[in-house]
Amino acid sequence: MADSSNKKEFQDFLFGPAHPGSGNFSVRAKLDGERIIEAKSDPGYLHRGFEKLMEYRNIWQNAVLSDRICVFEPLAWNMLFAQGIEKLANIEISERAKTVRVILAELSRLQSHLIWFGAFSMASGFDTGFKIAFAYRDYILDIFSAITGARVYPTGYVCPGGLMRDIPNGIEKEISKVLQKTKQGFSYFKKEDPLFKSRTKGIGILKPEDAINMGATGQVLRASGVSCDIRKSAPYEVYQKVDFDSPVLQDGDSYSRFRLGLLEADQSIKIIEQLLNKIPSGEYLNKKMSPAMPFIIPNNEVYVRNETARGEGAMHIKGNGKENPYRVKIKGPSFTHLITILEFLLKDAEIADIPIIYWSLNGCPADMDR
Amino acid sequence: MQNLTSKIQSKFKVEILKTDQNEIWIKIDNQDLLDISIFAKEIGFEFFSSLAVIDFPEKNTMELIYHIWNEEDKVLLNIKTEIKREKPNIISLSEVYACCQIHEREAHELFGVKFSGNPDLSELFLEDWQERPPFLKDFNSRDYVRKNFYNKNKKNEKGYFNN
Repeated sequence: MADSSNKKEFQDFLFGPAHPGSGNFSVRAKLDGERIIEAKSDPGYLHRGFEKLMEYRNIWQNAVLSDRICVFEPLAWNMLFAQGIEKLANIEISERAKTVRVILAELSRLQSHLIWFGAFSMASGFDTGFKIAFAYRDYILDIFSAITGARVYPTGYVCPGGLMRDIPNGIEKEISKVLQKTKQGFSYFKKEDPLFKSRTKGIGILKPEDAINMGATGQVLRASGVSCDIRKSAPYEVYQKVDFDSPVLQDGDSYSRFRLGLLEADQSIKIIEQLLNKIPSGEYLNKKMSPAMPFIIPNNEVYVRNETARGEGAMHIKGNGKENPYRVKIKGPSFTHLITILEFLLKDAEIADIPIIYWSLNGCPADMDR
Repeated sequence: MQNLTSKIQSKFKVEILKTDQNEIWIKIDNQDLLDISIFAKEIGFEFFSSLAVIDFPEKNTMELIYHIWNEEDKVLLNIKTEIKREKPNIISLSEVYACCQIHEREAHELFGVKFSGNPDLSELFLEDWQERPPFLKDFNSRDYVRKNFYNKNKKNEKGYFNN
């Protein structure tokens, strides 16, 4: 008895991959009572090896494949791959395609944030929030269905050279109707719920210097008081022509990450409203590019970065004068968020806070594992 | 940006590959990697973005490319360095950029690169993997799948052996 009092025994605790709040991901924690001594992220449940798969395929096949990198926002990854190839081969794309791309990227961010809030509500025990979020997300999916032909996976709609098809006539009206619905959807999450606030306020605090050092990007970084937005600092497509803010909050806890998501959603709606009635006419796909024609990737390499809904998404593409890329490196924002930062934040947290901290980081196991 | 390029050039032996609007691509000797990254962090390259490894079996080398962002000057620094393919050893940058640790762990698993000084290079995505690192160019993942998971004589799996 005397021995065991000196030597504490820690309990092993598994969060996921079968937990409803975890997704295809698991955390192995060591517990002292309710407190977490050490947490280890255990990724790999969704590892499909996209980087290797892309080496065997041409750009049109890869455009379709790039949908699947992140389940929550396929259009953003579609666009990233297309931008990479365009930059590599100096392909000009029309203003029309650029504008539609930004509208789609922002709609994609809105529906991604709705999933995030839905899952966040579910993880903190508010089932109604989950249902509200997914119901309102469906309006945006209807728009995706009308434009890309599919609700979730656009099957390479945003492709190298522009867009696969032109947008349907009169879609602007539909989008502005849906934006009204989306505003209504987000208004439910703007209500300051004291219970939700008490569960998230002061939980999982990330200091700015830690955030930078540990590779935080996107809203995780901005909620810690660091202003860094790729749409502002290295604008792509037509972001330099749009008037919007990149909100920053100072607290760095789970609550401010959630609040920042709401502020960002407002800005996304603002961006779409500005562009909606100003879609220029022109061709939607560069005439030199066609899925029916073989495309040779020049012997060169590029690194492209985008501000996706979860943070910085990036791709390094190297070509060597063949149809298939020689190497593609994909960097998902969740890779550092869900491993380095999650492990750091879970240390000394309590069991009940695991889902809160996990979902406040807005991670997606699919873009982490790739 | 010219300023940053000349700052790095004045202190270290670097080859400027290309400079773009807001991008610098440099090539360095792998011995200088740690010193250059410490210096880069001092002059504002604080945001480590990612680490890409490219395998070149014909040249018998592997290329490592570190992408680091400078928010103040809005410049992306791409540091390229080469290591020998049969002895893929290089110093770890996890002391300089904490998030580099996880990128190196991934590169170790998928390419077999050893990072001296990295505290944890255990398996990440692949569990109980006994073969060669799968992202190397001479590892054919299609052959591997055919050999291990498909049967040529089965009617519904025959198609996988066509090419």
